Amino acid sequence: MDLNPSQGENYANPKICFFHVLFKAGALAFYILSALFFDSFVIIFVVTVLLSALDFWVVKNVSGRILVGLRWWNEIDDNGESVWKFECLDQESLARMNKKDSWLFWWTLYLTAVVWIFFGIFSLIRFQADYLLVVGVCLTLSIANIVGFTKCRKDAKKQIQQFASQTIANRFSSTIQSAFSVV
Amino acid sequence: MSYSERDTVPLNQSSQSDIDEIENLINYTVQSGPATVLPARPPSPPRASIPVSSSPFLPSNLPPPPQKPPSVPAASPPPSTNGQQQSNMTGFGSPPNTLTEPVWDTVKRDLSRIVSNLKLVVIPNPFREDPGKALRDWDLWGPFFFIVFLGLILSWSASVKKSEVFAVAFALLATGAIILTLNVLLLGGHIIFFQSLSLLGYCLFPLDIGALICMLKDNVILKIVVVCLTLAWSSWAAYPFISMAVNPRRKALALYPVMLMYVSVGFLIIAID
Repeated sequence: MDLNPSQGENYANPKICFFHVLFKAGALAFYILSALFFDSFVIIFVVTVLLSALDFWVVKNVSGRILVGLRWWNEIDDNGESVWKFECLDQESLARMNKKDSWLFWWTLYLTAVVWIFFGIFSLIRFQADYLLVVGVCLTLSIANIVGFTKCRKDAKKQIQQFASQTIANRFSSTIQSAFSVV
Repeated sequence: MSYSERDTVPLNQSSQSDIDEIENLINYTVQSGPATVLPARPPSPPRASIPVSSSPFLPSNLPPPPQKPPSVPAASPPPSTNGQQQSNMTGFGSPPNTLTEPVWDTVKRDLSRIVSNLKLVVIPNPFREDPGKALRDWDLWGPFFFIVFLGLILSWSASVKKSEVFAVAFALLATGAIILTLNVLLLGGHIIFFQSLSLLGYCLFPLDIGALICMLKDNVILKIVVVCLTLAWSSWAAYPFISMAVNPRRKALALYPVMLMYVSVGFLIIAID
C-alpha cells in the first residue's frame, strides 16, 4: 500500500470521498462530543448507530463501487445455501482507478475500526455497558465492511493473475503456432 | 502490502489489446455458466455520472438487480429454478449495471426490497407456503429500524430511566434474535443465520404497531387487547418459517423460545408506564 499517494494527482471523485469520510467522522465525532451536550443516552445511541449504519451503506454501495471498483454481497441459492459473491471491475478500469481515491478508501476504513476498538477498550475500562453496546454495534459494521472488501480485493487480484497467465499462455501458443506455420 | 504490486503492473499497448481479446472470449464463453467472481465491463462512459443522494441505510446484501419484481424467488420450485438461472445469466450480463449504476437506483432498490420483505413476512400471501424461498432476499435494515423504533417507543413511554429502557430493549431484542437463531441451528434446523435474524426482526413489525398504539392511548384494557392481537399476529407471521426449518418433532422446541421472546416484549409494552 502506498504510504504517500502520487503527487500531482487529484481526487477523481471528491464528492464521493467526502461522503465516505463524512459519516465515519460524524459517528466518531458525535460519540465523543455528545457527552458534552446531551444528557440522554438514547439520543447518543440512536444518532451514533444511525450514522454508522449510513456509513456502512455508503461504503458498501457507493464508495466501494466508485473509488475502488469492488462490490460484495450475499445470496441464497436454490439449495438454500448462502453464497458470498464478490465482484470487481475489469482490469483496465481497475488500473484506471485514481490512486488517491483508493488510498483514502482503504486507510479510512482501517483507521475507523482501530479508533472504535480504542473507544471500546476505553468504555470497558470504565465499566460503561451502554457505551460498550454502541461501540460494539459500530465496530461490527466497520469490520463487516473491512472483511468484505478485503476478500473482494483478494478475489480481484486472483483474477488479475489468471488474466495475466492466460495472456502469457495465449501469446505463447500463438507464437508457437506461427512458428509451426512458418515451418 | 502487495497493493503496491498491483499499482505498478504496466499495461503496454500489446498486452492491453490481448487483455481486451481475452475478456471478449471470456464474456462469450462465460455466458454459458455463472462465475462466482464476475468481471464487469462498465458501459461506454467509464464513469457513470453519480447523482449523490445521502439517503440512509442498509446493510446490504445486494443481489444483481433482478429483472422481475423481488417476489419472483418465492415462486414454486420449477419456475424458480428457471427464474434463478435466468437471473444468473442476466445477473452476469448486468453486473456492469450494479457496479456503475447511479446511487439513486441503489437506494430505490434497497428500499423496495425492505417493503417487499415486510409484505412477504407479515401479510398473508401464497409465498408463505414455501418459507425457504420467501425470505431469499434477506436484509437487515428492516429489522434494524424496527428494533430501534420499538426501543424508542418504549423509552418514550417510560417516565423514568429512559436510557436504561432503550438500552435494555435494544440489547434484549438483538441478542434474543441471535440466540433464537442459534437455537434453531443447534436443533438441526436448515436456516441461514442472517435469514433467520432478518425474519425475526421483520416479525417484530406488528409489535411495533401495538407499541405505538399503546403509547398514544393509555388505557390498560386497551393495551392488553392491542398487545394480545399484535402478539398473535407476530407469532402467526413467524410460525411457518421457523416450523419449516426444523424437524417436525422439534417444532415446539424451536417455536417456544420465539413465542417467549415476543410475549416478553408484549409484557414490556403493557407494563411500561
